[in-house]
Amino acid sequence: MTQSTRRILVVVPFPMEPDQLAKRAEQQEEVLLPETVELHYRSTQAAPSNYVSAHDYVLADIGLMEAGMRAEEEGFDAVCIDTVSDSGVAALRSMLTIPVIAPGKTMFMTALMLGRRFGVLSMWERWFGLYERTLRELAMEDRCAGIRSIDIQPDSKNLFEGKEETVLPRLHDAALQLIEEDGADVVCLGSTTMHQAHAYLRDRLPVPVLNPGPLSYLTADTMLALGLTHSRTAYPEPLVPKPEMISAMLSAAAEVERLA
Amino acid sequence: MSRILVLVPFALDEQGLANRKSQLAEAGVRSDIEYDFRPVKAGPSSFQSPHDWLLLDVAIFEAGLDAERDGYDGVVIDTASDSGVDALRSVLDIPVLGPGKASLLFALTLGKSFGVLAQWEPGLARMRKSLADWGLAAHCAGVEHFDTEPDFAGLIGDKRDEVFPKMEAAALRLVEGGADVVCLGSTTMHEAHGHLSERLSVPVVNPGPLSYKLMEMLLAAGLTHSRSAYPRPLVAKEELVHAMLDGAASDS
Repeated sequence: MTQSTRRILVVVPFPMEPDQLAKRAEQQEEVLLPETVELHYRSTQAAPSNYVSAHDYVLADIGLMEAGMRAEEEGFDAVCIDTVSDSGVAALRSMLTIPVIAPGKTMFMTALMLGRRFGVLSMWERWFGLYERTLRELAMEDRCAGIRSIDIQPDSKNLFEGKEETVLPRLHDAALQLIEEDGADVVCLGSTTMHQAHAYLRDRLPVPVLNPGPLSYLTADTMLALGLTHSRTAYPEPLVPKPEMISAMLSAAAEVERLA
Repeated sequence: MSRILVLVPFALDEQGLANRKSQLAEAGVRSDIEYDFRPVKAGPSSFQSPHDWLLLDVAIFEAGLDAERDGYDGVVIDTASDSGVDALRSVLDIPVLGPGKASLLFALTLGKSFGVLAQWEPGLARMRKSLADWGLAAHCAGVEHFDTEPDFAGLIGDKRDEVFPKMEAAALRLVEGGADVVCLGSTTMHEAHGHLSERLSVPVVNPGPLSYKLMEMLLAAGLTHSRSAYPRPLVAKEELVHAMLDGAASDS
């Protein structure tokens, strides 16, 4: 390892088998990462079954916080979250001084560097609440031209496997509606699990298509190169951090899942 | 090897260009990317009136017009006013990036609001126009200036002892006013970035170096600006644009 190697922890928001984790790790092949960047993928110990309700959001937040909260003492230089929901990011930022990248926020802000308004292309209508939450937090609702889905319940572990022929053309049609009917200058993929559709859409659409996972890795590298991190005034530290308690909660959660 | 063209908004000599180029070291740019700095042929002598803003738009537009033909992979503008960016995007397919809007959007990924450090009172009008044009006024916690006339060639240089404390005081006013992130309002302030970031409790965004890294990011991800946001002209008048700037240069 050279001195300038940048070790980035990527936290995947579901407990996974190694082959499923490998599908997530394939995202890094989709951009030209500097050789000095090393990505380490880790899944959470427990998670909601999907991200469609406030019940799920809070479970996702705590699962991701637990999986990433020791990243700094483990020697990582930055943390990326492998979900556009930005789950766990605010809590992790309050505990860590190293950069914690929010792929959703980062993607929307990058889209506005390339066009006036962006559209969000999603798999599933039940994910819309996640995007609306981030847009509200950013106070950027008016820059979102539209959100469209193909209304298929996604498989967060096996991704598109075996379904490419039905899924990809439908995503293309929905993206065209975002552009032609809603006025989107840029298309944002609504989930890091959609990365397998990126090349297909990029080659067929007349506007830029943003791939949130790989974009978050490049953003982490940018922040490390510039010595930047999140603002402590926006993400204040707790008076008493409780990492042991959080670990115990997730160990107990994992045990319940194992027995289920 | 990718090549990036950096357009410098004043007709500077070698020393003036070197002062601008020193931003590359602050950015930790990739070794497999080459940066060429090119000054405009002619332009305004200040940057505080619509007269100046318009002349700079045209001058930067002309300086970057042939970038794609010249073999460049991307264009970065060395002014946080983003002068000329929209016009260049309308004629170039390679990514064109200005540090102004991009640095403010980037700041909003680090905190909920930003504050902008401006040079002096005459610079405030343009800053307010930019915030309105970019639709970011509501995210801005404040704009504070440090009451120092800008030196576009020499930058801060040997005036550090006098200027840095004034910059620090203005930046502190931004933090006290609720800014989660302080954005330097000009690429000419880059020499103060290290000083300020060591002393402030919030991140300090240095627009020039950030713009180089963002350009590297766009190239690595194969991204460029959206054609639907920056439509092409029906008839591109490149010769006319070059002739105007050649005329301007022969007059000065």
